[in-house]
Amino acid sequence: MNSSKGGSNTGNLVDTLMEELNCETVFTLPVLGGISESVVVTWIIMAVLVLLSIVLVRNLRVENPGKVQLALEAGIGWAQDFFEGIIGKENRRYIPYLITVLLYLAFSNTIAPLFGFKPPTKDLNVTAGLAIMSMCLIEYSGIHKNGLKHWVKHFAQPVPVVAPIMILEVIIRPLSLCMRLFGNMLAGFVVMELLKTIVPLIIPIPVSFYFDIFDGLLQAYVFVFLTGLFMNEEME
Amino acid sequence: MLSLDLNLVWNIINLVVLYLLLSHFLFKPVMGIMEKRRQIIEDGLKNAQAAQDDAAKMKQEYEDALRGAKQESVQILEKARSAAKSEYDRIVGEAGDKAGNIIESAKETVRAEREKTMKELQGEIAGLAVASAAKIVGRTADEDLYDQFLKEVGGTHDDTDDK
Repeated sequence: MNSSKGGSNTGNLVDTLMEELNCETVFTLPVLGGISESVVVTWIIMAVLVLLSIVLVRNLRVENPGKVQLALEAGIGWAQDFFEGIIGKENRRYIPYLITVLLYLAFSNTIAPLFGFKPPTKDLNVTAGLAIMSMCLIEYSGIHKNGLKHWVKHFAQPVPVVAPIMILEVIIRPLSLCMRLFGNMLAGFVVMELLKTIVPLIIPIPVSFYFDIFDGLLQAYVFVFLTGLFMNEEME
Repeated sequence: MLSLDLNLVWNIINLVVLYLLLSHFLFKPVMGIMEKRRQIIEDGLKNAQAAQDDAAKMKQEYEDALRGAKQESVQILEKARSAAKSEYDRIVGEAGDKAGNIIESAKETVRAEREKTMKELQGEIAGLAVASAAKIVGRTADEDLYDQFLKEVGGTHDDTDDK
């Protein structure tokens, strides 16, 4: 009985975990196929971000800015300075995209404890999509800056022998970005779900602060930081 | 969980759409405002610099003008002083001449007057002498008196002769 009870408990735990980990298909469109949970949560985050921007950006003034505007400008200014420090002042045009990714990741990584949604970044499709976008941006920035010829040549530098590794790097960089984010979020999520199943009260709160808030923000920071760093490397 | 499907594409589209929306609603206005403010501050600084330069130039001009005016005033004063001095000299000289003339003419007048008076007096004295002589002669044709008169006159006559 004991063993069977333990077994059923373990089975229940595994079932709940798997249920939480699964990215359910929320609804199915006739031609386009299933729309997963992460896409829907992303839509919600997008809506919130756009609404927030519209509300905060209203009544912007050049002189005598209000407190909200000052806070907004301080935030944007901080992000701008941060990315300018990485990719340089002459590549400012990539900064809005990087800030968008930063905002999106910050929201999606911390949405679990704040609003109860499953974080979209625990779905490999999301992180892979982000990584593919980063890869495109990294290579595009290099080609745009130094020209296609230089971009093709730079694979054979400093010696042609390294060419296979350099070409692999094109894939490896976004793959590492993707897997780092996915692994961190998934691990944090699994740990939190386990903890919540075992100890539902009090204890998860500080742990959640670490795994969801701190780690989530840290991973968002690391993702855009590394993307900017790779872009800078490519643009040299 | 670890499967890639069409949702990857949806997420990429989501990301691109989010980027476009945010750059339209958030980045463009906020960065535009920040850029505008930066521009205004830069313009203000530039204007302040220009105003300062202008003021310095104007001050220099004023100083030059002031220095010129001072020199000019000194010159004018000098000229006026020399003109006044020459005028003064001229007036004083004229006055001296005039005074000399007046004194001269006064002396002349006095001399002429005196001569005239002397002549008149001489005439009168002569008349008196003739009259008194006539009286004396008329009243007493005295030998003694003649003698006395002659003696007197001759005495002076002798004196002058002797000399």
